[in-house]
Amino acid sequence: MNSRLLSIGEQVASMKRDWPGFRVSRLFRRDNAARWTGNLKQFQVYRIEIRYQVHYAPEIRVLSPTLIRLPENPEGSLPHIYDRDGDPRLCLYDPATDEWDETMHLSQTIVPWSADWLACYELWLMTGRWTGGGRHPTPRADGVAS
Amino acid sequence: MTVSAYRGKNPFEDPLDRILAEIAFSVQLPPSLHAKACQRYKAVREYLERTTAFQDQIEHFYPQGSMAIDATISTRGTDDEYDIDIVAQLGDRYRSLTPLAILNALASALRDYPVQKIVQQTRCVTLLYADNMHLDVTPALRDYGTTDRQSAITHAKGPLPSNDDCMVPMNAHGHAEWYKASTPDEERVIEAFKDRWFGDQRVAVRAGAEVDEVPDQTEFVVKNMATVALQLLKRYRNLRYSNYSGRIPPSVMLSYFAGAAALPDMKLSDMLIRICRWIIGEIERATINRQKLHVVNPTYSADVFTDRWPENLDQQNQFAGYLHDLVAGIERAKRGELDPVTFRDWLREMFGDRVVTRAADKMADATGAAIVAGSQVYSKKGSILLPAAATIVTSAAPVAAKPHTFFGDPVDE
Repeated sequence: MNSRLLSIGEQVASMKRDWPGFRVSRLFRRDNAARWTGNLKQFQVYRIEIRYQVHYAPEIRVLSPTLIRLPENPEGSLPHIYDRDGDPRLCLYDPATDEWDETMHLSQTIVPWSADWLACYELWLMTGRWTGGGRHPTPRADGVAS
Repeated sequence: MTVSAYRGKNPFEDPLDRILAEIAFSVQLPPSLHAKACQRYKAVREYLERTTAFQDQIEHFYPQGSMAIDATISTRGTDDEYDIDIVAQLGDRYRSLTPLAILNALASALRDYPVQKIVQQTRCVTLLYADNMHLDVTPALRDYGTTDRQSAITHAKGPLPSNDDCMVPMNAHGHAEWYKASTPDEERVIEAFKDRWFGDQRVAVRAGAEVDEVPDQTEFVVKNMATVALQLLKRYRNLRYSNYSGRIPPSVMLSYFAGAAALPDMKLSDMLIRICRWIIGEIERATINRQKLHVVNPTYSADVFTDRWPENLDQQNQFAGYLHDLVAGIERAKRGELDPVTFRDWLREMFGDRVVTRAADKMADATGAAIVAGSQVYSKKGSILLPAAATIVTSAAPVAAKPHTFFGDPVDE
């Protein structure tokens, strides 16, 4: 496995190679950052945006269609999301583990994991059950998740 | 008849096709029951041949209808009852008897057969088994000197003789052979349903469920996409007419249209749309000419598939309307216009609550298990392909699955 931190140029190249349908919408070479948009198809086609700056966690948003919520669902009204009620972003890995770090290609992790999330999301809407596993943080007294 | 095999498409590859295939899988005769049906009709033949009335008088005993073309699904309005249709081609002794006398003789010979119930019908004798399988045995007399198995079957309402009693022309065997020739085997379809079946068996065994052993020689009955589409169409027809007690568009007519419309290497959703549009076109042509739909056996024109339905133009136009609804919904789903909740509700309306709930649950469980294990494959468009489907995938992205842990905000709200 590669143990070297990948540059934004390398991320752009691997995204182009593995997911040619994803296009760089903004590139900030000086800041080692980029944004990609592309479609992932499940039952519906979802427009996804990935924002990434080296040394920071990637941010993944569903631009369209608007995500549907299931109030009262045991997994929450929209599971495995950060900032559910503000600026929802997909949460694809547990930050407490080493499942993702900057030595990994977004194209080999974040994009397929987004597809996993979307597949689980659609089937959760259809069945009420989130079957793709995961972990929900426990709220601490000070309101910070652990 | 030998037909060349096509590669075909994997019906579990595309998400829309996958849930349609799951629905078909839920309603079709399972391979274990297919084997049981074969054993049962052989046993009935042997039983009849041991009776004085039918000794040396059964020339052929063969499946007809859905069983002959591997398109059997659960009976109208049910999820686990199956009708199996058998033709008993009888010998010389029966040529001089009336249709009612033939049916009476068959019912009488089967009177003590060990099943739950035996019912003499207008054209057949039905054996009802405790596990909800129904075996319809239809007596037939061969028209010697004509095309293979061209025959006439009994029609007599009983119990008293009537002027309506008659022998009805038919060649079920010829139609089945024509259908098979029109719908060649497709490797990926056969493999996908075989994998799907064994996957279900493994899950059931792990769960400690009672599982009928599948013999080594089990025939995996679904062989091409046209037949899967036909099963969905029949299920849809059953649902649309579930509260209607009269005659409904006959299965044999639908199978004719499926055979006529079939093309190899099509996606399931496309095939279903194609067959529906074909039927709609035929109905509209007939209606414009103010005629009832007239469909005959392509191997025997005297065998009229539409002899009892439609009774009038309204009936055929109503069916065309139903097919329009089905096509419109599938097309909206293909265009991604239906969100998952709306799509699920639409599927339930088309194919039935329980079947669709079961199909969605199976799909959710299988997809979730693959994602947790990291055994899925991705299509180039980002769809999730499950391990069984992935063995015959046609368009995978160059990305290996890895297990990962979904996280996020706390659940509380």
